[in-house]
Amino acid sequence: MDSILSWRAAKAVAVALATLAAALAASSPASATPGFARQTGLACEACHTVFPELTPFGRLFKLNGYVFSNVKQLQDINEKDQSTLAMNEIAPIGLQLQASFTSIGHSVPDNGTGVNDLAQKNSVEFPQALSLFYTGKISDNLGAFLQVTWNPTSNSIGIDNSDLRFADHASVPAIGASDFIYGVTLNNNPTSQDVWNSSPAWTYPYILSNIMVSRIASALIDGQLAQSSAGLGGYVWAYNHLYLEFSGYHSAVTGFSNHYTSGPELDSTYSGTRIDGLAPYWRAAWEQDWSRNSLMFGTYGMQANTHTQGIGFQGPTNSFTDVAIDSQYQYIGDNNILSAYATWIHEDRTFNAVTTSNPSNTLNTVRVTGSYFYDRKIGGSLQYFSTTGSSDALLYGAGTVTGSANGSPDTQGIIAELDYLPWLNTKLGVQYTAYTKFNGASTNYDGSGRNASDNNTLYVFVWTAF
Amino acid sequence: MNAHASALAIACLLLAAPAAAAAEATGAAPDLVQRECSTCHGLHGISTAPTFPNLAAQPAAYLEAQLKAFRDHSRADPHAQAFMWGMAAQLTDAKIKEIAEYFSKQPPAPGTSADPAEVAAGRQIFENGIDAQGVPACMACHGDKAQGNEVFPRLAGQHRGYIEKQLEAFASNLRENEIMHQNATKLTARQISDVAAFLSSM
Ligand code: HEC
Ligand code: HEC
Repeated sequence: MDSILSWRAAKAVAVALATLAAALAASSPASATPGFARQTGLACEACHTVFPELTPFGRLFKLNGYVFSNVKQLQDINEKDQSTLAMNEIAPIGLQLQASFTSIGHSVPDNGTGVNDLAQKNSVEFPQALSLFYTGKISDNLGAFLQVTWNPTSNSIGIDNSDLRFADHASVPAIGASDFIYGVTLNNNPTSQDVWNSSPAWTYPYILSNIMVSRIASALIDGQLAQSSAGLGGYVWAYNHLYLEFSGYHSAVTGFSNHYTSGPELDSTYSGTRIDGLAPYWRAAWEQDWSRNSLMFGTYGMQANTHTQGIGFQGPTNSFTDVAIDSQYQYIGDNNILSAYATWIHEDRTFNAVTTSNPSNTLNTVRVTGSYFYDRKIGGSLQYFSTTGSSDALLYGAGTVTGSANGSPDTQGIIAELDYLPWLNTKLGVQYTAYTKFNGASTNYDGSGRNASDNNTLYVFVWTAF
Repeated sequence: MNAHASALAIACLLLAAPAAAAAEATGAAPDLVQRECSTCHGLHGISTAPTFPNLAAQPAAYLEAQLKAFRDHSRADPHAQAFMWGMAAQLTDAKIKEIAEYFSKQPPAPGTSADPAEVAAGRQIFENGIDAQGVPACMACHGDKAQGNEVFPRLAGQHRGYIEKQLEAFASNLRENEIMHQNATKLTARQISDVAAFLSSM
């Protein structure tokens, strides 16, 4: 008995070490994965209402470390009859293809001539992104969601949302937890490890044009650290209701090297956001399921100090404290599927590494989404989004198209999408983003005559995974 | 600061406590049930959503027969294919026996209340059949308390939505079973709904 326990503990520590090592050695939202279907023998509908939104079973599959497997295993044991290998005979691999057409309300100025309307207004991207997945079991308690994406816009191959997990079951009768899941996750995007679709990494819109005009401000936890951080954390899922997680994120700038090896240099010329030390991330959620309904209330957040320039961890930092609440509701009928998610993120942002007008600023983000699907075939979603905050003329500076004339970060609008799924693994969609406010104003927001509605974007896409 | 070391320390801390408590399957549930089946059917065979049938107190012989039917694909209604073909693919006969034993010994699901008029109409069908339509009393095979016996499944306390879906699948032959096909084709949608209301309330 004892030896089994210590064997397990030793394995857990070894795994934590290995995953850490793997991450220190390692861009766009991901989706449902055919690899999981290949491994479990389950159709997509077991884990997804409509991909990539997860069903209650899909959430448990993830919390269990992606290890359920119903295919033949390659196995090995040692003299003590302890398992030393339990690997799928067939690798759970999949491919994903996204192709799209984007049309912006009013084209952005031509860089070369500075003349409006000369730049391209409509763009076709085939593919917009092409990804390779390894998603599934590595051994009995260890699984992975690994995605590598080729992005033709930048003609680069990069690590996309990735998550390596160890999970097991245990019980502590003393606190009434007769069977709970505990696990360790190593991932590269805060909230990508989350199992609900109301937190930023896996929320609607699941796919967006990559040539939209981007707003001037987003909260740090709202995608700003995606694929440039590595987080290691532990979680528990207890009483079939309660999720608790605590993680720490470290900067993990990929694709850089140093002067003496090849590749771009991670030195004083580097100007991306880097976390100073370790940024704590926390998550608590309560889920209540009854009949075909599932309701969750939760909170998550993060505190990070960041460097914006150069290397090393000396010098002034910017400080971000994000506190968020969220909720999700799902009704999963045989024919009718209804989902609603909402989140509110409050950020306190203090900039010491760059010059600002105010000593500190706030930024509030709200997203409320509703979606309906019939027969998992046809449906749509509607989202209201809003980012508002204190005005700061230096932080949110002027600039054609991407700047703000009045120093306000306020951006608001809706995103509507209609989808048709001829097969469970293929989505054809039409999406429209309409802004009522962009970078602080509805009209002439950049001081060069551009209106918020000029950034409205029509986006038509094909998204398939096989 | 040495961030990696502290991250590792966090991980070890988090791991050490539950791992020590993981007292290696003290419960009677077979490991596979705890890890996999329970996520849809509940640890004790009582599930939340009507898509997933309750398995608690289901006769072992029936459970065995169904798991084998999923494994050899002879039970082929849409949800059987989407969910259970995969789950049953690698089960050995011995494993099937063990799982069936386990679920058959779990206390049955308590019924859920339904509209009294529907329940009364459903009880009538269950106990007496419908002579005019040539429908036999369900009780004759499924037991006077719908408790099941051997290959005749327990129906008492089963989810209403699941029962309705199975009767429709028997009628359309998506789930092939000659006896139940005969019974189900003779029932109207209203009668299916009533009998399901009664059974789920038991
Ligand atoms: C992903 C969800 C899921 C998992 C995991 C799962 N099942 Fe099922 N199971 C279902 C669904 C859905 C049905 C109903 C199929 C239908 O409608 O024909 C079902 C039906 C069954 C039935 C038939 C019950 C009856 O009354 O006819 C048995 C027996 C069963 N499952 C056993 C198991 C066992 C044993 C496991 C673990 C090895 C398991 N299931 C894991 C979803 C699941
Ligand atoms: C002559 C015997 C017999 C009679 C009468 C009978 N059944 Fe059945 N029933 C069966 C058998 C056998 C099965 C199992 C079929 C299989 O193995 O797939 C079954 C299965 C079912 C199931 C599927 C249960 C599950 O867990 O998947 C339902 C629901 C059902 N019967 C309802 C009824 C109703 C309602 C009536 C009355 C109108 C009825 N049965 C009358 C023999 C009978």
